[in-house]
Amino acid sequence: MAMTISDIPSGTLVPALAALLAPLAAFAVIMILTRRRARLSAGISIAAVGLSFLCAVGLLARHWQLEAPLQHTWQWMTSGELSITAGLLLDPLSLLMMVVVATISLLVQIYSLGYMAGDPGVARYYGFMSLFAWAMLSMTLSATLLQLYIFWELVGLASYLLIGFWFEKYSATQAGKKAFVMTRLGDVAFLLGILLVLVHLGNLNILAMNAVDAGAMPPALLTLGILLIFGGVIGKSAQFPLLTWLPDAMEGPTPVSALLHSATMVAAGVYLFARLFPFFSLSPTAMTVCLAVGTISMLLASTMAMVTRDIKQVWAYSTISQLGFMIMGLAAGSYFAGVFHLTTHAGFKAMLFLCSGVLIHHYGTNDMFEIGRAGGRGLKVTMVCMTLAAGALSGLPPLSGFFSKEVIMGALAAHSNPIWLAAGILGAFLTSYYSFRLIFIILFPAKDTGDAPHGSPSGHDGHHASGPEWHDRVMNGPLVILAVPTLVLGFAQAPLERFLGAVFTGPVMTIPHLGWLPWVASGLCAGGMLLAWFEFGRVRAPRVGFVERVPRLHRLFAERWYIDHFYRWFLDRVVYGTVSRLCADNDRKVIDGGIDGLAQGVRGTGRIVDDLNLVMIQYRLGIMFVVIFFLTLYFFF
Amino acid sequence: MIVPYSHVIVLSGILFLMGMFCTVVRRNLIMVLLGLEIMLNAAAVAFVGASLRWQLMDGQALVIFIIAVAATEVSVGLAMVVAAYRQTGSVDPALLEGKETSG
Repeated sequence: MAMTISDIPSGTLVPALAALLAPLAAFAVIMILTRRRARLSAGISIAAVGLSFLCAVGLLARHWQLEAPLQHTWQWMTSGELSITAGLLLDPLSLLMMVVVATISLLVQIYSLGYMAGDPGVARYYGFMSLFAWAMLSMTLSATLLQLYIFWELVGLASYLLIGFWFEKYSATQAGKKAFVMTRLGDVAFLLGILLVLVHLGNLNILAMNAVDAGAMPPALLTLGILLIFGGVIGKSAQFPLLTWLPDAMEGPTPVSALLHSATMVAAGVYLFARLFPFFSLSPTAMTVCLAVGTISMLLASTMAMVTRDIKQVWAYSTISQLGFMIMGLAAGSYFAGVFHLTTHAGFKAMLFLCSGVLIHHYGTNDMFEIGRAGGRGLKVTMVCMTLAAGALSGLPPLSGFFSKEVIMGALAAHSNPIWLAAGILGAFLTSYYSFRLIFIILFPAKDTGDAPHGSPSGHDGHHASGPEWHDRVMNGPLVILAVPTLVLGFAQAPLERFLGAVFTGPVMTIPHLGWLPWVASGLCAGGMLLAWFEFGRVRAPRVGFVERVPRLHRLFAERWYIDHFYRWFLDRVVYGTVSRLCADNDRKVIDGGIDGLAQGVRGTGRIVDDLNLVMIQYRLGIMFVVIFFLTLYFFF
Repeated sequence: MIVPYSHVIVLSGILFLMGMFCTVVRRNLIMVLLGLEIMLNAAAVAFVGASLRWQLMDGQALVIFIIAVAATEVSVGLAMVVAAYRQTGSVDPALLEGKETSG
């Protein structure tokens, strides 16, 4: 399809650059100058991301009627035949993602004022947050795949730094390391994919890649390249089989989990998929693999979420499962489904995490049963927001999640194989069950404990200071603001579809309008909710989930399907036991042995010569005789 | 010539080897000197035999020189052995090794 690409007019270029560079400047200033001054650092960071937010919204409003993608590239480096360009790409997808990232960054940074108050590392925290905002926004607007990859890695770095923000906690540093290594595993595949594409297409420009036709590469290599790039998506978006780093990443501060590990950074994988959607859809085989990976991740993570007691873990698993949903939507062929769910999910998932943050901040525990007993329902604003967001997550009408899930379900229904639709509906049922399990556990705690002080609305143990009144207000503000898109974004489906579709070049899927589908899906959601009510909500509820009644199943889910055990085993046996041991043996025996042997030989020879010179005269004489004897032999015979 | 020249050469070689062995192996300076003497005399026997074989007097003349050299060598050597014995109380070449012998 022929495509017109316009250069970015300077009236657009300046705000775009300002949006990108402001957080970078804030990062530099905070790290170099104001590290000792927490308030000032926070102010700088929020001002910078605020500027980014204003620019992003301005750009979106200005280009709402965009007809062709805008691109501006600079020559970055030239080496012989190869010339590498860097640039900015503004199209509906990147503009939308930019607004999502900037909005949530801004809200989370404001929220952090309350959550992180009094922490000795506040300045460092805001520095890293600015670094993240810069990397993420730059990644969003990257015009070439290589540039995108660079910022992709920078985002990974920011994630590592923020997960391990409380580095004095051993588990936090371990979690940071795990996240870094596991995502890097995917990124290696991504880099290989980039190189493969570069070798065959000679060009990494995203628009150019999206415009190629299937004949540009041999089909097998095309599939391989797409799957390798999808490896990066798997790592970053915590899909099967690299999904276990995300729950562990919850060791970081809760606002970080809200921003990085639910709404924006982990969605970068899905964003990449959407970014290269026309390219990906050249290979139906690869798309089927993506669909399978998304489905497996979605179902596995849902089951894990059904048994955990940690609030943040529930949302972490649900993030994995919703990202799986988005990938299913994209891989089923509907570009809009994935991107729309990405947008709505960013809003309500950030909100869920921020609400959990308020509860954790208030009660000093992550355990949902303890929060319930301590009187979590007393925090009215928080609980209302959380219930709203959980409803959106479950896909209850008329919240935003309902609309975006419907589009994905529609796309799955259009697929020839009905198993994907069945899996999707099952996933939706599980989602609503585990979300409302958490809500009901907190809202309707078991009364049989009997100790009244814990039941009082404002009752908390007192030793974890919940901070002054303004903390709650600062933290509740973003919640209420995020509730707005959760309520109204669903109704913006038609204009968003038009906006995203205006420039889209890939195969457009017409989603069949199935009258029964919304009823079935929302009916099952309500079913999940009712099941949760039956088990955890009603007065005489057993407060034991149906999974917990089957100990083996419970253990399987709680141990994350033994994926971590498998990794441990794999590392111990295959990596450490075989590969590393062979390498170590080679190092120790062959290389070290060789060098040592050489040294020993030289030393031994030296000692012999040395001894000859030291010992008594008769030996020297004897040697002289021997030498003369041999010389005689040599000369005469 | 009653004794064949080859016999003389073999005798001389055996003597030389014995002298060499004595010089290298014995742990007594006097015996070392003795070994040297035997080697010199082995050379002298070879010269005498050659002189007889080719009917030339040069060999005999050389033997005179060898005897003279051997005599001086023994006198100087024995004097040094006596001096070493006086200084160290030993005639073992191994014990003399590395010792400062002044005078």
